[in-house]
Amino acid sequence: MGATLQPVEVFADLDRLLEAVRPDTVVVVDAGLANRRPDVVREREALAWIAVPGEGGAPCEQPIVSHLLEHGWSHVIAHPMPVLAEELLATVQKILRADPFSLEKYVAWGAEVRRYRLEDAEERDAAVTALAKDVIAAGSADRVGGLASVIADELLANALFTAPIDEHGARIRQSEPRDRPRRLQGRDVVTLRWATDARYLAIEVRDQWGSIDPVAVARRLARVSQEAATTADGGMGLPLAYACANQFIIGLAPGRLTEMVALIDLRFRPTELSRVASFHVFSGENPPGVGS
Amino acid sequence: MSSNTLQLGRLSVTTSSNRLELSGRLDDAAPLSSLATSELAREVVIDTGGISFVNSIGIREWMRLLRTLREAGIRVTLESVADVLITQMNMIPEARGDATISSFHALYVCEACGGEATPKIEVAPHRDALANLQAPSVPCGECGGKMDLADYPERYLTVFRP
Repeated sequence: MGATLQPVEVFADLDRLLEAVRPDTVVVVDAGLANRRPDVVREREALAWIAVPGEGGAPCEQPIVSHLLEHGWSHVIAHPMPVLAEELLATVQKILRADPFSLEKYVAWGAEVRRYRLEDAEERDAAVTALAKDVIAAGSADRVGGLASVIADELLANALFTAPIDEHGARIRQSEPRDRPRRLQGRDVVTLRWATDARYLAIEVRDQWGSIDPVAVARRLARVSQEAATTADGGMGLPLAYACANQFIIGLAPGRLTEMVALIDLRFRPTELSRVASFHVFSGENPPGVGS
Repeated sequence: MSSNTLQLGRLSVTTSSNRLELSGRLDDAAPLSSLATSELAREVVIDTGGISFVNSIGIREWMRLLRTLREAGIRVTLESVADVLITQMNMIPEARGDATISSFHALYVCEACGGEATPKIEVAPHRDALANLQAPSVPCGECGGKMDLADYPERYLTVFRP
């Protein structure tokens, strides 16, 4: 937090912390403490509440992350140091600067960003193939290529078939066959972007509907390991993408744009990170266009 | 025993009366439940070792196939379960159903050379260890060193817990 040059106060217990919280405060809480009192996020308005691995520096385990997501936490960082420092800094800067969109926040300056703008819903496979080719060409392991393909496929399917709504909020494309051509024009245009800096592979999908309910998504992700959430006919796509990622970030401009960014950490083996991905939701009023 | 090969989207399926071999992509274009025909024997082995990609629609089709076979009273043994599918089975109980898993692929890494591979692990010789979430070590195909499971055991082995 010191890297933001903002004043930092440290408290040993939640009650003393609450007394100090103001509407413009970014609150960072040990996930273990947050887990014991998850509704603390509703006790005092703040700019953001962020849960981070605390006790002993161990990663956040799935039950804690799920518990916090169920209780409406918008920012849960699951990974220990050094990922924690990078992720916390990016999160806090996005919040303080009110600049919540785009994958460039997560890769080093100068990393080349590739883009695929879908002109037809049928191009989903072509976009995923283009991404997978790039990932392998960049020297990533087959494992990473597989994860990236699943993430891109599911995020694109969500943007193409779940995001579109009518004037009553009904999801008008949800039941459509997914292997048929459909020209994408106006609000239907969807983009896939990706970049890597040898630390992360970042994958971003944008749609122009801004129709997602991040609280509902968080709850669905929280229940990913529970049978009830995974035997229903739909709704498995985002939990699957989340399960393949190390960080999962939703940017939302209601009615205008939904941006989903998934990060795969290329430096560490799976067992050196948390079993579960970090989760963030950001809201913003001035989103970029899908093509930018 | 005669066998046929058919194409479901980008999934290739070789069928005989008691064996299905699946390879390729298990996705929107693969209506798997069409494989549950009356010509199948009462015990069927499904080999998924050649599956390279599974998305959420594909896993739904897979669950429908297992459910249809179960409702038809057909006992299913899963052989060479693909790495991309065994992880789904550990996350979604219905993706395994009540089928028996005889072998599976898992992501392994060599401590000596850092090489990664997805060797096939036979269940029977390691049943007790797998039930305790302990994956066996295997020799590295590159350097002969010792390869160990490269991921959290829960992601691969929860299905073997009693």
